[in-house]
Amino acid sequence: MDYHMFLVVFLWCSVLLFSTCSFSAATELSFVTCGSVIKLLNVKHNVRLHSHDVRYGSGSGQQSVTGVTSVEDSNSYWSVRGTAKALCHRGTAVKCGQNIRLTHVNTGRNLHSHYFASPLSSNQEVSAFGEDGEGDHLDEWTVLCGGSVWDRNEAVRFRHAATDALLSVTGEQYGRPIHGQREVHAMTSSSQHSYWKVMEGVFMKPSENMSREYSSPLHTEF
Amino acid sequence: MAVGGMKLSSLCCLLLYLIAAVFAGRDFYKILGVSKSASIKDIKKAYRKLALQLHPDRNPDDPNAQDKFADLGAAYEVLSDEEKRKQYDAYGEEGLKEGHHSSHGDIFSSFFGDFGFMFGGNRQQQDRNIPRGNDIILDLEVTLEEVYSGNFVEVVRNKPVAKEAPGKRKCNCRQEMRTTQLGPGRFQMTQEVVCDECPNIKLVNEERTLEVEIEQGVRDEMEYPFIGEGEPHIDGEPGDLRFRIKVMKHPVFERRGDDLYTNVTISLVEALVGFEMYITHLDGHKVHIVRDKITKPGARIWKKGEGLPNFDNNNIRGSLIITFDVEFPKEQLDDQQKEGVRQLLKQASYQKVYNGLQGY
Repeated sequence: MDYHMFLVVFLWCSVLLFSTCSFSAATELSFVTCGSVIKLLNVKHNVRLHSHDVRYGSGSGQQSVTGVTSVEDSNSYWSVRGTAKALCHRGTAVKCGQNIRLTHVNTGRNLHSHYFASPLSSNQEVSAFGEDGEGDHLDEWTVLCGGSVWDRNEAVRFRHAATDALLSVTGEQYGRPIHGQREVHAMTSSSQHSYWKVMEGVFMKPSENMSREYSSPLHTEF
Repeated sequence: MAVGGMKLSSLCCLLLYLIAAVFAGRDFYKILGVSKSASIKDIKKAYRKLALQLHPDRNPDDPNAQDKFADLGAAYEVLSDEEKRKQYDAYGEEGLKEGHHSSHGDIFSSFFGDFGFMFGGNRQQQDRNIPRGNDIILDLEVTLEEVYSGNFVEVVRNKPVAKEAPGKRKCNCRQEMRTTQLGPGRFQMTQEVVCDECPNIKLVNEERTLEVEIEQGVRDEMEYPFIGEGEPHIDGEPGDLRFRIKVMKHPVFERRGDDLYTNVTISLVEALVGFEMYITHLDGHKVHIVRDKITKPGARIWKKGEGLPNFDNNNIRGSLIITFDVEFPKEQLDDQQKEGVRQLLKQASYQKVYNGLQGY
């Protein structure tokens, strides 16, 4: 009897000792978060949203925004940020319908639009504006997507908050000095030209919220 | 009966042997130099520090360097994973044998990039003739709480990686001078593009998780490099990814070096008779302030050691400097109350006119 009982205990111990837990693989970040740096691909024309320190020769004369076919150009990186009124903390998921700013990483200017005609198609001009990430209310874009948050695998649209025009590419190509680059503009009508997908980038994972809530009316002017 | 006893004793021996084998595995907590109750943040911090010290490239004369580094990687892999850690705590290393193991190089590069810190030299010097992709410098917004306590930020890096593809391509193209003899004593020099032939390459997007450590006391504009995590170059090496620290404004505290400044508004009564209060610090601990003397507007209290940790030596901390403002009563006093105040304070009229802006 003792022998059988011991055998049961022994087998149970063995199972415990040599059982291996099923380790879940680290899930990738499936949504876009604030503070992330991304490249946006226009799905219709297969060009990435791009900017560089070259100004438009017409219209506003502000920094030009174009579409490029090149995959490995660091001038195609844009930082996802909240607005001046509604800050968005690092790692927070961007909700569908949320207003954001897209800041060009290498020049610190925000994706911007206004009632100027674009140079090639005479649609609404899209430029990069501001200094060190601070411009004005015309830098705000609403993310239009299907679910509750901006999914990385979903093609989304960006509606200019002030003018209701959609960020678009219709295929017009520039000549020198930016030969082959496509015009990026804003259009009021929705079409296949207005869909953008997140490609390469650095995506901030949500992290333990380190900031505390301060309710006391303390202030920091000196 | 005797046979049964023998069987029982042999089973006992076998069981004891198995238990001994389980506990004879490596002590991962000891390898990382942390306690069994260490948080994930402590484990990451310990790994990051030791990985730089024990990296084989840093210890070329140590024949055991590779093993030590492998032990460190194994310890981190297990203790940084909640499930594996539970398994290890319960059954030791033996209980993990069948699990999937990451390469220790992968773990190291998730903290430092593909080539670590290029021990023993400047990357630019080493690779002077190899073309490189663009560096990416991006701002990492950190809170003052993170500067005070430190933190680890996980980021997912999705980047194009050059992979070999079928066929050949022109590469390393350059301008060369070619001399052609046109006739006796007549030569012509022309410039032409000469290319090598290389295996074809296609760019494939790959994704991995990187760990950025926000060190205690980190300063604005400091950069954390991840080698080889920047943009690829079709004929060379990828650039670097650099996280540039941007410390965000805080509603309560202002940073000046390692010192923290804050303002506290107290009532006129408190200014005259004294007060006791607590300020909630960046990590949640309470800073006790007590005064029984008169507190003038603009008065300052220095709390030594309540500032930020020094970046180079976390044991040294700055001061917390509290400046007091006085809130005066909103309601006007009647004649009787005014007289009461005069009687109470017994303060003679004092009206000095001077140039305050120039400090007279």
